[in-house]
Amino acid sequence: MNMRCSTRIVAVLASIGFALMLAAPVVAQLKSPDDVKTALRLLVQVSNDFKRQITAKNFARVPHEYMEYTEAADALRSAIKNEPADFKAKVETRLKAAVAAAQKVSDMSAKEADADKLMAEHTKAVTAMNAVFDLFPAALRPDPNTPPPGRGGRRGSV
Amino acid sequence: MRSHLLPRARLSRRRLLLGSMAVPLTLLGCRRKGGTPEQQVVDLFIESDGDFLAFRPDTLTCPSGALVRLTFHHGGKFLSARHNWLLVYPGQMEAVDKDVEHTEGIISKDDSRVIAATPMCDKGGTVIAQFTAPAPGNYPFFCSTPGHGECMNGILHVTA
Repeated sequence: MNMRCSTRIVAVLASIGFALMLAAPVVAQLKSPDDVKTALRLLVQVSNDFKRQITAKNFARVPHEYMEYTEAADALRSAIKNEPADFKAKVETRLKAAVAAAQKVSDMSAKEADADKLMAEHTKAVTAMNAVFDLFPAALRPDPNTPPPGRGGRRGSV
Repeated sequence: MRSHLLPRARLSRRRLLLGSMAVPLTLLGCRRKGGTPEQQVVDLFIESDGDFLAFRPDTLTCPSGALVRLTFHHGGKFLSARHNWLLVYPGQMEAVDKDVEHTEGIISKDDSRVIAATPMCDKGGTVIAQFTAPAPGNYPFFCSTPGHGECMNGILHVTA
């Protein structure tokens, strides 16, 4: 029994170690991890701006957010320009899907005044964006639960 | 003809020299006689945190009554979002931020809630605002581009 138990523990530890071994080189191999991290953060920031404009029913600003989203996507392309071609191709496929989903929200905002419908479309765009993030090491991915930068909390007090 | 002109030329040079010295000395004398203390000038610098919606630093300090020359630099590289720096009276930030939602963040400098504002600034650019620091207290500042103020804001501490 003890022998079986210790064998299992060793097996679990070995599999964790193996997984870490696989993940670590990805971070190490990225030529510009800081630029990648910045670009991913920008995508999240602009995605949150989309949400803010829709919630505030400021639909006229949504196309502007889409333009910024394409700029953030370009920042990511620039950050991985020196990576292997197969990796760039994978990112490009998912990035194109994410940008297309964001464009759909932007196009809809010109005709649709229903914030709930726009939010539902935005949720699809976030899912497409998260598929891009999945290609990068967890250490570089922005935490969607992190509060935005700045001193937003002070707004009410002063 | 030549010898006749030379002394006159020398004389005019002397006059010019004395005259050029007299003007600044007169101005200096006038300033001292006036007796009013000069307004303290304070230069402040603030920038956006790259393309992110945050000011760096997000807290500034200056003495009350000082002439503040604030320089804002847009540190962005990728996004075409425009930023500015807008200082308002305490408790007015949210209302002003809401009012500029449909005006691309532009607000009249005559708005009684606004103390100072820089023009809108494109990425990589620098703009300046000049104002007299108000009474001691904590004053909120923010970027008035629609949607930015929620994250991109800070406090100006005005000391006595």
